[in-house]
Formats: sequence, structure tokens, C-alpha cells
Amino acid sequence: MAAIQTNGLTKRFGEDLLAVDSLDFTVEEGEVFGFLGPNGAGKSTTINMLLDFVRPSEGSATVLGYDAQRESETIRSHIGVLPEGATLYDRLTGREHLEWVIDTKGTDDDPADLLEKVGLEPEAAERSAGGYSKGMQQRLGFAMALAGDPDLLILDEPSSGLDPTGMQEMRDIIAAEADRGTTVFFSSHILGEVEAVCDRVGIMNAGRLVTTGTLDALRENLSLDSSISLDVETVPDALVADLENHEGVESVTVDGSTITVSCAATSAKYDVVTQVGAATSVHDIVSEDTSLEQLFNTYTNGQQPGETVVDSELDEAETETEVSA
Amino acid sequence: MSTLSVAKKDFLDVRRAKIVWFVGGLYTLFAVLFFYLGQYNNPNPDVRYQLFTLSSIGALFIPLIALVAAYLAIAGERESGSIKYLLSLPNTRRDVVLGKYLSRAAVVSVSVVLAFVVGAALTVLWYPDLHIDVFASVVALTVLFTIGYVAIAIGISAATKSRSRAMGGAIGFYFVGNLLMIFPGLSIIEGLDYLFNSLLGLGVSDNVLEFIRMLSPTMAFVQSMALTIPDDLAGVQAEFSGDVPFYLEPEAALVVLIAWLVVPVALGLWRFSRADLG
Repeated sequence: MAAIQTNGLTKRFGEDLLAVDSLDFTVEEGEVFGFLGPNGAGKSTTINMLLDFVRPSEGSATVLGYDAQRESETIRSHIGVLPEGATLYDRLTGREHLEWVIDTKGTDDDPADLLEKVGLEPEAAERSAGGYSKGMQQRLGFAMALAGDPDLLILDEPSSGLDPTGMQEMRDIIAAEADRGTTVFFSSHILGEVEAVCDRVGIMNAGRLVTTGTLDALRENLSLDSSISLDVETVPDALVADLENHEGVESVTVDGSTITVSCAATSAKYDVVTQVGAATSVHDIVSEDTSLEQLFNTYTNGQQPGETVVDSELDEAETETEVSA
Repeated sequence: MSTLSVAKKDFLDVRRAKIVWFVGGLYTLFAVLFFYLGQYNNPNPDVRYQLFTLSSIGALFIPLIALVAAYLAIAGERESGSIKYLLSLPNTRRDVVLGKYLSRAAVVSVSVVLAFVVGAALTVLWYPDLHIDVFASVVALTVLFTIGYVAIAIGISAATKSRSRAMGGAIGFYFVGNLLMIFPGLSIIEGLDYLFNSLLGLGVSDNVLEFIRMLSPTMAFVQSMALTIPDDLAGVQAEFSGDVPFYLEPEAALVVLIAWLVVPVALGLWRFSRADLG
């Protein structure tokens, strides 16, 4: 059973705003799925439809096998949610928030355990949430999501408002929950945080899901140049010509004693190194991976040739995932 | 039950809101003032007259307490986004509306009953007779009226998505459903009379117009007050009696008042359960 599955999920606001455009994706049980995209891409609207805050114009979705609209209450008793842009109740203390959540979910969590998990001081939990910093609010929200040991965590921009330490702690908690077998679905417009924890990502842009797959698969399927630089003793002319003719090499540039080779696939790098090593002595090798930033920008800035290509890339990426899984 | 869990948490929250206690306290002050004036320099005071005066002040004042205490119940949470926490838990939208209704009705009723408890204590102190039967039925009717206005505020709050719209709705209702119904010279009914009879010549009877007036919660409350007045209390009774059709009897007014406990909440829930909470 899929943790989340959408079928042609579409949301229009009014006549002309197409916030989410026929979305089809599946999040498998037990995986950590990063839902990426710039602000306004339709991520939150999608999550809002999964939680029945917003009703789809067309299509449908299931969460943990239950229909997102008809069986929303059942879904919400099995999941934990950290909503985006939601404020807490100013007049209630942190502990009262947790007691309320535990009471509503009908579980037997100890508020102290939940507070410890998210790194919120017990003294802070006795104060009313009106005086909390953004980071404390986010931690309390996370503690509320963790109550009742949910099968699925839906986290909408979990790191918003957190400092770098807080973001790291948040990632650690997500990883710990994932290790316990919890499926995690979280959205983000910050790329750094997905790389460390996600099994798979989906990238949304302008209401459409432009691609899904593992980060490796996405990197490979995008012919972004993956380059390697070699610092060498001498640069023989014949070597440059040989390298340029080599299969998988896109371009060769020489700057003084440094040869930079741009490869279509990472596998070509080894050939490049052996070939250069045979011709001259090598002082240093720097291999550059495609940065996630670059990957993300390529998908969301319209650098890709067109929608048809995007769709085929999507298919390829999905295939890669299945192979690697 | 989720409705109760919503109500419990909301009660915890709203009882810490100072504004609710402020308006409730103001009503108590009114009560003290009236009970004091009723016996001041009066050798043989009758508390029942004070009760009826207090309820006519209540007709203007209680809607304000109820509207202030409840107009933000749902719309405020939609604006701040905390409704997402509420609905991320296994609560249905019906649980939210009914739970909020329950807790706000409890808070406002408690503050109104408190005013009467203070009034009862002063009555025992200052008046020869508490008239417990009249006292109790006036309290019961006033609480009914209070909850009716909480229902209206909850209905408005459930149907609107922001603080400002909910406030506009509450103020609008206060004018149209309350002020413009009470004062005969300034009443909407005068306008309807002019429209139906003078302009269109439909010949709508005064009784029908009076019934339209009684459809407002405040007039339903004022008219049903006759039920609490014993026959021996002349003077007050005359004001309400007369040869009227059944739909203008105090019992009919009571039915209208009870309908106000249900209809606004049902309409608000109908709107809210279809709304997109973006």
C-alpha cells in the first residue's frame, strides 16, 4: 500500500488560477520523500488537499489507503502534521498544547518525552505559546505532530524560522523517525535540507510536478555537466585532442596547468583520469558533483527545452528509481 | 468525543481572554446598579420590576457580550492559521463548529448567570421577597437569549474567513437584527410597512408586520418575557396582553427564540464544511 497516492489531482482557484495541475505521484511506505519547489509552486495547496483543508477541483488522492476527502478523519488519526504558516494558541502553554493533542488523538504519550524529542525545555513548556520564538513554535508544532506515534508525518516547510542548528536538529529528528519506519513527506524550498535525509524527491514548479526520483537518478538524467579538473605537470596538445574525441566527454578547457573536462556522465571521469595519467603526471584531481542547487534551478527556471522533454525525463527518473530500489 | 475535546481546549483558551470578562463584568455592574435603585427610598420594593427592567437592558447589552465573545471563534483561527492545527487532528469540521459553540455558550452563560447570582444575593439583602419562581424563569429565558446570540456569532464566524469580515457581520447583525427592530420609530418594520402597503398596496396587516418584527431574536426575547410574568403583577402585564393571533402569543415568541439556537449554527456549519481553508 502506498502512503500517499494522487490521481490527476487538480486545484483551480477561481477562473484562471491553476494552483495544482493534474498531479500524479506515489509516496511508498517507509520512505522519506522531499517535496521541493519554489514558493508558490503549489506544494502547500497539494498538502492542503491531502489533509482535506482544500477540496480538489478534479482528481483524487489517498493517504494510507484512505480517501483524502471521504475518510479524512481516519487519516488524521494515523498521521502527524506540521502545518505551514499556522500559529499556535497564544493563551495556552506548550504543555497544554501537547495535552490537548494527546487527548484528541486518544494516545498515552508523555508530554515530557515529546518535549525532549524536539529539544524544548520543560520550563519553556510551562509558559504560554504567545511568547515563543519562531524556532520554539516550530519545535512545539513538531512535538504535536509526533504525538501518537504516527505512521506518516506530513511536514510543510518544517525548517522555516529555524536557525542552522535548529535545522540540523530537525533533520536528525526526521531521520530518527524514518529509522523507526515512519513514512515522512515534507515540503521545502530549501535544498540543503533534503539532500541529507530524503530517499526520493519530487520537484514542483508552477503547479506541475516536473520530476520525481532519487537525487542520483535526477542528476544522471539531467545532462548537467559533471566536471573533473586535473592539475598536471605538462599539457600535451595531443592529449587535449584525444580527450575531446573520447566518448562521454563534452568539452575540454585548459587553463595553465589545469585541465578541466566536462563529462556527460560521471562514469566518463575514470576514463579521463586514466588517459591523462598515461600522458603526464597528475598533481591533483578535483571532481565536482552536480550541485543540488544547479539541479533544482534547471528544473524550475525553465532551462529545460520544453514540457515534452520534461515528461520524458520524469519517466526516465521514475524508471531509474525502480531500478535502484 | 471530538466535539467535547474541541470545546474543552477552546474553553481553556477563551477563559483567559480578558475582553470576555470585561463585558461580562460590565453587565454585572448594571445588575448591581438596578437592584440598588429598585429598593432605594422605596418602602415596599418588588424585585420583579427590577428583573423586567434588567431584561430590557439585557436586550441591548447581552447581544454585545455574546457577539464579542464568539465572533472570532472560527474566523479568527482561520485568519491566524491555527485552525490547521485543529483540523490536522482527528476533528471534523462539525466537531470544530459544535465544540466552539458549546464552549462559547458556556463562557457567556456563566458570565450572565454570575450577574444574576450577584443580583439574587443583593435581593435577599435588600428586598422583602426573592420571588424565586419569577427570578428563575427570567434567568432561564435570559440564558436562552444569550445562547441564541452566541449561535448567531458562531454562525457568522463559521461563514467568514477573516477577522474583519466576521466583525462586519457581527456589527451588521447587531444593527439589523437588534437596534433596527427594537425602537418602533427607527424600525425596519416601518420601512416594510411603507414598502408593502403605501408603495405596493399589498394590504399587509399590522399583525403580520409585528410577526416579522418578532422574528428578530431580541424581539422574540422581549415578547416571550410575558411568560414569566405572573397574572397578579398588573401594570407590567398590560403591556404584553391584548387580543392577538396565535403567532403573536408569547409561546410563539419562545419557539422563535429556540429556533435561533439552531438555525444560525446550522447555516454556518453548512458554509464552513464546504470552505477551502487555504
